[in-house]
Amino acid sequence: MSVIEKVRPAASRPAVTREPRVTDEHGRRIRVWELALRYLLLLAVLALTVGPFLWQLSTSLKGPTEDIFSSPPKFLPGDPTLHNYERVADTIPVWDYALNSLKVATANVVTNCVGAALAGYALARLRYRGRRVATVVFILAMLVPVEGIIIAQFTTMRELGLNNTLIGVVLPGCVSALNVLLMRNAFLNLPYEIEEAAYVDGANVWQRFLRIALPSVKGTLAVVAIFAFMGAWDDFLWPLIVLSDPSKFTLTIGLNYLHGTFANDERLVAAGTVIAVAPLIALFACLQRYFFRGVGEGAVKG
Amino acid sequence: MASPTVPRVSRVRRQLPTSPWLFAAPGLLITGAFILYPFVSTLVNAFTDRRTLIPGQFVGLANFRELLGDEMFWIGLRNSTLYVLGVVPALVVLPLLLALLVQKNIPGITFFRSAFYTPVVASIVVVGLIWVWLLDERGLVNSLLEAIGVGRVGFLSDQWLLLLSAMTVTVWKGLGYYMIIYLAALANVPPELHEAAAVDGAGPVRRFLNVTVPAVRSTMVLVGALSSVAAFKVFSEVYLMAGPSGGPAGEDTTLVMLVQRTGTGLTGRVGYASAISVVVFVVTVALMLLVLRADRRDES
Amino acid sequence: MPVSRRALAAAFAVCVVLPLSACGSGGGDGIAADASGKVEGDITFQTWNLRANFKEYFEGLIADFEKKYPGTDVKWIDQPAEGYADKISADAAGGTLPDVVNVSPDLVAPLAKAGLALDLDKAAGQYEKEYLEGAWASHRIPGMTGTYAFPWYLNTGPLFYNKSLFKEAGLDPDQPPKTYGEVFDAALKMAEETDGEVATLANVPTIEDFGRYGVELMNEEGTAFTFNDAKGVELLARYKELYDAKALDPQALTATPESSGKKFLTGAVAMNPGSALDLGNFKKQAPNLYKNIGITDQITSTGHVNMYVMGVMVNAQTKRTPAAVAFAHYVTDAAHQMSFAKQVAIFPSTAGSLDDPYFTKEDGTDETRVRVAAAKSLKNAVNYTPVLFSEQMKTELRNEVAKALQGKESPKQALDNAVEACNRLLQQQG
Repeated sequence: MSVIEKVRPAASRPAVTREPRVTDEHGRRIRVWELALRYLLLLAVLALTVGPFLWQLSTSLKGPTEDIFSSPPKFLPGDPTLHNYERVADTIPVWDYALNSLKVATANVVTNCVGAALAGYALARLRYRGRRVATVVFILAMLVPVEGIIIAQFTTMRELGLNNTLIGVVLPGCVSALNVLLMRNAFLNLPYEIEEAAYVDGANVWQRFLRIALPSVKGTLAVVAIFAFMGAWDDFLWPLIVLSDPSKFTLTIGLNYLHGTFANDERLVAAGTVIAVAPLIALFACLQRYFFRGVGEGAVKG
Repeated sequence: MASPTVPRVSRVRRQLPTSPWLFAAPGLLITGAFILYPFVSTLVNAFTDRRTLIPGQFVGLANFRELLGDEMFWIGLRNSTLYVLGVVPALVVLPLLLALLVQKNIPGITFFRSAFYTPVVASIVVVGLIWVWLLDERGLVNSLLEAIGVGRVGFLSDQWLLLLSAMTVTVWKGLGYYMIIYLAALANVPPELHEAAAVDGAGPVRRFLNVTVPAVRSTMVLVGALSSVAAFKVFSEVYLMAGPSGGPAGEDTTLVMLVQRTGTGLTGRVGYASAISVVVFVVTVALMLLVLRADRRDES
Repeated sequence: MPVSRRALAAAFAVCVVLPLSACGSGGGDGIAADASGKVEGDITFQTWNLRANFKEYFEGLIADFEKKYPGTDVKWIDQPAEGYADKISADAAGGTLPDVVNVSPDLVAPLAKAGLALDLDKAAGQYEKEYLEGAWASHRIPGMTGTYAFPWYLNTGPLFYNKSLFKEAGLDPDQPPKTYGEVFDAALKMAEETDGEVATLANVPTIEDFGRYGVELMNEEGTAFTFNDAKGVELLARYKELYDAKALDPQALTATPESSGKKFLTGAVAMNPGSALDLGNFKKQAPNLYKNIGITDQITSTGHVNMYVMGVMVNAQTKRTPAAVAFAHYVTDAAHQMSFAKQVAIFPSTAGSLDDPYFTKEDGTDETRVRVAAAKSLKNAVNYTPVLFSEQMKTELRNEVAKALQGKESPKQALDNAVEACNRLLQQQG
């Protein structure tokens, strides 16, 4: 029944296009005018969301002789070049930084998915004394204004001897309260019945969690993974404060070196931002289908 | 639609007595050690006159008394509150509509979904720069307005328009973020509900109000809660659009900007900034309770 | 919650322990000030955003130092441009400040007060005569005895103007304004001719503008601000006039140096202060502007131009005082400052260096002309921004200035308020 199975062939295999039957997620045909309206709306939103970003991309492709501050501004590079990207790689060890970022972000995804799923399940499904208190703890943690606690966090990290380590970068956000609450919400929305059936059949709590509940919330898990990756990838101030050794710097800090002390080169900065954002968009493009696969695989229809 | 197979592994219940806490332990431990514990020191600092490099002394409620007479604090409270009122309704409704728009698997939809997510992943600094450029006195938006005869608008020089511009950026950047939360929720709405409604002759608007909205209600509450907390704690957007000093004469300062301004750097008044942090915390707790209460009343 | 009491106790421990570690040795009591021992051991040297462009220079410098003093090992860490003050704050509070740190005067003042900066008058007084008098003095702090950082590179620069905008407004592009009065007149004319389309200035006056206009910024003891005198009020009143006529950019109230720089690049603003470095920038970023660039001297009513000073500070708690002092001096000595100045358009703060032909001989290019003029003006330049003028004070001044420009307060009232607020912050800094 999966949506993807139905639509993907239409999109990827030319053989099917002879009969342009486009269906919605319930297998019904979509009328042509409705489809046209949809695309029109999609394009309108597209212009609003990626327009500004394309400007950055265009700046990063402009050559050294081009006036990037001309008025009125020019949207397309007159003589597109990848030279600015080479210069970024020459100026800073961009691959080393990217690798550090990748380590931090991956660790953050794993710890958040595991930690938030476990805690979310405990908050939503398990009965024990103190459940309310545990829930309140996470809600309060989400409300703490981080701007005020960063130095105290650093001091704690130093006492643990974890300053200037990548572990120190990951640790404070490794099970974020927001993700716990997202998972809790997802588990709460699952019907109780099947789990009860499993319970009656004698499945213990780990079995119910791993084999029944978890597969049903894959969509939310994908959301948590994206948020966790993005958060770790984009974070600037905390890694800057924890890390001292430039060889351990993450990409966001490293790219900040492109803002010169003496002069800013807008093209270089633009190329840097594109480098920082591209992996995130790629990751999202890869993961987003899981929100939908969630329907097919885990769906619980009474 | 096959029901997932129910494991019939063991009939013996080997449920460990401590397991619920075991589940929650990693999360609680991390949250406690790295968020709540540092925040407790903020709570304590709020009652001292501590500065970044100079240890403080207990001053009782002096910081809070000073807050009451600090004009900038009231400006901050006003702006943060306005931000919640301006941003939250838009962020509860627009991403849901966007999610519905990209939910159907029509060709190329993967591309659109990813594209709509780009504002979320683009760093806020870049986003700020781009929007400042767009809304500038001579920027693209003003060129368009001038072309259609409206004339130039001082988006970046008037205190209220600045706040409005920052809100626009927040909504623009948040659309994709809340869109995916809604997408995950919409995926759980059984299609039968829509089909039944369609058979009953309900149009798209009716189906939206009678089927979709009730089905994602708990998610709407969640998005409402998340976005109102985030909106009250707004910092980057206003900081980047209105400048570090918070717009003309500081009139666009938000509470968290005030925390940052007074409390950071080597000359920061950590004690006073902590007192403002505590106020921010108390207000967000109240906001959360308000949203939850409204939710409960709706339900009954 | 049973947790809370224990957590509270632990938090108290943090609050009590932390300041102790931050203030181990009181300000310059000579505990760690003995720099006379053998130069050896491992030290860490932190710079501010210099790695990307000057990696080879610093690696060479460190290798030379290690060769000169066998048994030393210098670890170089470079921090990016953004968040430098936050980074130093966390390190200072957490006791992880590097041994030798690149600082600006406003960062030195609070570190010195917390006893974290070594008093060089005691530890390295013999080097004082190697530096320009004004540069050495820029790391002295009112209310304290001592000098808390070696002066490093200096910067200053001319005023750039857009010749084609001047021409369009009927101003003589070859007769740029030379005094504050002339700048203001030209600005008003520009605004009138272009119907408020082109502003001449992009920034509201900052503390250094008040200084250059001839306002006394602080009393002699350095215990109170005084920029609300008649001269200060006069300057602000002139700016108000400009603002009303749109000769000061309407977005000036929210401008940052970056945003006003961009406005100049796009031709929305006719004048902008800059430095020799900007010329290369104009050439690269806005070739059309570069063709029309006009260069004139920085405006000052006191006969002294403004300069920016970078310093190199020694951590008072370093375990390797002799090596740290020796290295800080090595980085900032005449030979190394000279070679650094040839890498990038900045100026050495060592005595006599500015008499080098590199800074005195014209070769017909704009770059050299700007460099020679700047070097000449630096000999008696002043760092107008008081070292005690914190970020918080800058914001107070800026906001009060904005109120005056908007007409919400009279210039006098605004400056009185700003002085009062800054004095209160000064008291609180202790």
